[in-house]
Amino acid sequence: MNDRDFFIGAGGVTFAFLIYWFMGHPFFITERIVMFIAIMTFSGTLLFYIRKARRGEDIFLREIPGLKAVEEAVGRSTEMGKPVLFVPGIMDMDQVETVAGVIVLSHVSKMTARYETTLNVPVSRAIVMKAAQEVCKESYLMEGRPDMFHEDMVHYLTDEQFAYAAGVNGIMVREKPAACMYMGKFYAESLILAETGNSIGAIQIAGTASQAQIPFFVTACDYTLIGEEFFAASAYLSQRPELIGAIKGQDMIKLIVIGMIFCGVVLRFLHDGGMIDFSILEFLTVR
Amino acid sequence: MQLQKVFRKQQGWQYSIFAIVGFFFAIIAGFFYKGNPDVAWGTHVTADGTLFKWIFTYMFAPLQATMFALLAFFVASASYRAFRIRNFEATLLLVAGIIIMIGRVPLGSNISSWFILYLLVLIGGITINSVFKNKQYTAIFVSVGIIVITSAGSSLGWPLDQPGIFYLPYLQEWIYKYPNVAGARAIMMGIGMGIFATSIRYILGIEKSYIGE
Repeated sequence: MNDRDFFIGAGGVTFAFLIYWFMGHPFFITERIVMFIAIMTFSGTLLFYIRKARRGEDIFLREIPGLKAVEEAVGRSTEMGKPVLFVPGIMDMDQVETVAGVIVLSHVSKMTARYETTLNVPVSRAIVMKAAQEVCKESYLMEGRPDMFHEDMVHYLTDEQFAYAAGVNGIMVREKPAACMYMGKFYAESLILAETGNSIGAIQIAGTASQAQIPFFVTACDYTLIGEEFFAASAYLSQRPELIGAIKGQDMIKLIVIGMIFCGVVLRFLHDGGMIDFSILEFLTVR
Repeated sequence: MQLQKVFRKQQGWQYSIFAIVGFFFAIIAGFFYKGNPDVAWGTHVTADGTLFKWIFTYMFAPLQATMFALLAFFVASASYRAFRIRNFEATLLLVAGIIIMIGRVPLGSNISSWFILYLLVLIGGITINSVFKNKQYTAIFVSVGIIVITSAGSSLGWPLDQPGIFYLPYLQEWIYKYPNVAGARAIMMGIGMGIFATSIRYILGIEKSYIGE
């Protein structure tokens, strides 16, 4: 879609919405207009920068040590003749983090195919197993090594949280992988996995958006991707322009949010001081 | 798969026997043998006196608790590694951790603010000695500090929780409510925006590698 078509389409949608609004906007929850405007603004910003990146604009992406270390970790495993262990979290594909983890797995499996390193991916959910098998199969095919792929490299253990942790620990202690990667959604088992990996001397790279588990991974792992760094992994590893553009759009949204915070503080101050009637808190509360 | 492993005597086939026995045991308890004839099928998985409930209470729950209990030891070993004084940030983490740990237990509320003040004066004296390497400066600083604190304490009657800034329970609450929440909220906002942007990429089909391109 070229720029002209895009802006005509966007203008058409906006015009249609305005007509709907002035016709009495049936079925629209007016109390949530702020959320609607926010979603439209943020989505528009993202799409704007994705389109800009597709047109060839050079976008700077800072170095993320954890992602740079992924190839080093796979290389280390190859040199030591030991496998790479990849844990895509304990939740299902309905979680954004699990999908992001499977995407990182696709890049890691390309590296293991290239370097002929054994890859072991124990999973906790059936659908994640199928998705992970498909991405690994495709990665090995793209690297020209379909013979190296076997379905058992991605295997299901159990749905139960601590039974899964016990199973992964057993794999770590028996097979002693040289590199352990934890990319996905984790709960209390995160420290059990990371400490066991630390005890076998493996290089550990973790990535999660589970806020409560980040400190445990930071303490026990060599590299940790915190929150949005984890979601930027696919852009960083693939270097695809539209994905890098999306990261830039995300940063711009952050700037918008920072600006809104400052404005909100000033407006709240003026309201509490009795200088204005407008209450920013009332306005932004989602009912 | 487990049966194949046993028949072909592959590596670790002995563990597969446990997996197979456990599988059939759970099937029998769930579908064939209740153990308590007064309970209806369906509710037998949670009702007392049934084999299924017995498996949960006396096999599954203790195993789960055992794994959870490992966390206590892992937290200790991870803390030992994290709190080693390597740089300024690690030292700050250690000091904040000690304040919060002691401030949250009854012992912390029994430690007077004046004790903390004396401690700070001694730490200040050590710092001045290491910076200036002059015993006279150190002695003057420590002596003046002790005299000032003793005078202030005597005049105020040595209240346990004043000055409030040096009272451990108040200090730990402040650390928990302000700097900790600020950092956590910043990370949460970044995570939220990351999830939003990533979801848009999946919905619009910009990111397709997870389903195969």
